[in-house]
Amino acid sequence: MDNPMHRRNFLQRAAGVLAAAGMLPWVKAQTSSQTAEALPSFTGPGPNPYWNGVNPFVVYPQKLPLLRLTDRGIQLETPRQYFRTAFTPNEAFFVRYHLDLIPNSIDLSSWRLNVEGNVEKPLTLSMQDLLTRFKPVSVAAVNQCSGNSRSRFQPRVAGGQWGNGAMGNAIWTGVRLMDLLQEAGVKPGTVQLQFQGLDRGPGPEGKGSNAFIKSLDWNDPVLQECIVAYRMNGEPLPMLNGFPVRLVVPGKFSTYWMKHLTWIRALTKPDDNFWMATAYRIPDTPRGNTTPADIAAGKVKTVPIGNVNMPVRSFIVDPDGSSKLVAGLPVEIRGVAFSGYGRVTKVEVSLDGGKTWRVAQLGDYHGPYSFRTWSFQWKPTQPGRYTLAVRATDEKGNVQPDEPVWNPGGYLWNRIERQDVVVGTAS
Amino acid sequence: MKRYHWMLLVLLGVWVMAQDSSLPGLKETGNYTQGSLGQVLQPLPVTNAQPDGVYSVGAWPLYTPELADGPGKELVMGYCQVCHSTTYITMQPPLPAATWDAEVQKMIKTYGAQIPDDAAKQITAYLQAHYTPETRKQ
Repeated sequence: MDNPMHRRNFLQRAAGVLAAAGMLPWVKAQTSSQTAEALPSFTGPGPNPYWNGVNPFVVYPQKLPLLRLTDRGIQLETPRQYFRTAFTPNEAFFVRYHLDLIPNSIDLSSWRLNVEGNVEKPLTLSMQDLLTRFKPVSVAAVNQCSGNSRSRFQPRVAGGQWGNGAMGNAIWTGVRLMDLLQEAGVKPGTVQLQFQGLDRGPGPEGKGSNAFIKSLDWNDPVLQECIVAYRMNGEPLPMLNGFPVRLVVPGKFSTYWMKHLTWIRALTKPDDNFWMATAYRIPDTPRGNTTPADIAAGKVKTVPIGNVNMPVRSFIVDPDGSSKLVAGLPVEIRGVAFSGYGRVTKVEVSLDGGKTWRVAQLGDYHGPYSFRTWSFQWKPTQPGRYTLAVRATDEKGNVQPDEPVWNPGGYLWNRIERQDVVVGTAS
Repeated sequence: MKRYHWMLLVLLGVWVMAQDSSLPGLKETGNYTQGSLGQVLQPLPVTNAQPDGVYSVGAWPLYTPELADGPGKELVMGYCQVCHSTTYITMQPPLPAATWDAEVQKMIKTYGAQIPDDAAKQITAYLQAHYTPETRKQ
């Protein structure tokens, strides 16, 4: 395995950064003049009550202003307003890296996708090969971070403090993973497929801080659905979303959707690297739910988050509480819903905080892995305060629960979402 | 201006390290620069780019908030920022003192951060003095 950062370099870099410590200028956050009051700079120890995380808008190459969780490595959250449509614009699509050596420039004349390991015929494929030798296929699929909505957890857990915007939906186009593997000829004895991209970190070789690597079981049916995607919503992938190609794993969390995908390896032993054996693991319990006490007592058996699909979720995008509604003036309550277990069959809206429910209208169907938009016409007649809520049901009969979930990784949140609104008088 | 020059040197150092790469097709990686505040200029279209196989974007902008002042701050800025900006600290909710201790130990034992014991103790004490539910101010 190639690694740009060896121990010597790590030490050099440590010395360089240390030498300048204390000399860095700091970014002073500015309060937007759009609002009389800005959000707080952090939330906690209670849950984050806002739809997005509280982080400021920042601008990155190929992106519109997004919400900065971290700047090295880069983690950017998609603002709520971009979820009015079933497909999330590439320019607004969330970004989540684990390590800080993120490609700024890639030369396709020397870049190759390598299929290697326990195969009859290792492949070294150029972008041209991918475009011309394999049949293109497309799928609409939601890419959602395992830790989406982590800032809702009680007690709070360390990690990226996402609101609801660590997700996006796109039409992904590329070649079937199985078409590549068929050409390479996967040999008997293969137990997992391992995926690795071009991003790296400065940590020592063999540690999770050096390279981000993920594996899927060879007998996982999702492999039949996987795409090595070179197009996203009809365009080349933005660099921060994995140019030139990324793995698309429909129904599974983003952690397996390897960006800058460059190596696919057939393994004869289960992958025991940090990102499989230690990170991204969930309690082997219903909903991945547990308690801090059970974790402390060492009672909790864990499994990789890839053992489950994304639970059913729905979101209120409008109204967003940024302004008062007017009594007597109709308003469209709308948003998106999805499930990793298949088609969303029902979305229900509550105007009384979840006591009673009414069926919302569903938007166009774009396939089982896509966002589905929904809407509900409401004419508030009485001024006052209202709590709106939304819940979705999928084709397997999974209904969003109103109970929170807790696990130490901050994964699998899918509780019913609420939005407080104020209706003013028109007279 | 002197502080500004130091920052450029650090960023240049990180970037130079990152160019020692044998990964296929990787022309440049880990290039960061100070991000803009306030108004942000629109990007120029790439119509002047060469029609070759090189696909590039600009440096990744840094937007790192200031850490709380106190003993140990410079150790945090030095050791922690070898791998990541201190935004990873300020982004967290207030965390219990034991959690900060566990985080520092995770960076050393799990991720291989090379931090002397004495410095690690001071870093943990700094985080506990400024970023727990009882102590966090900003």
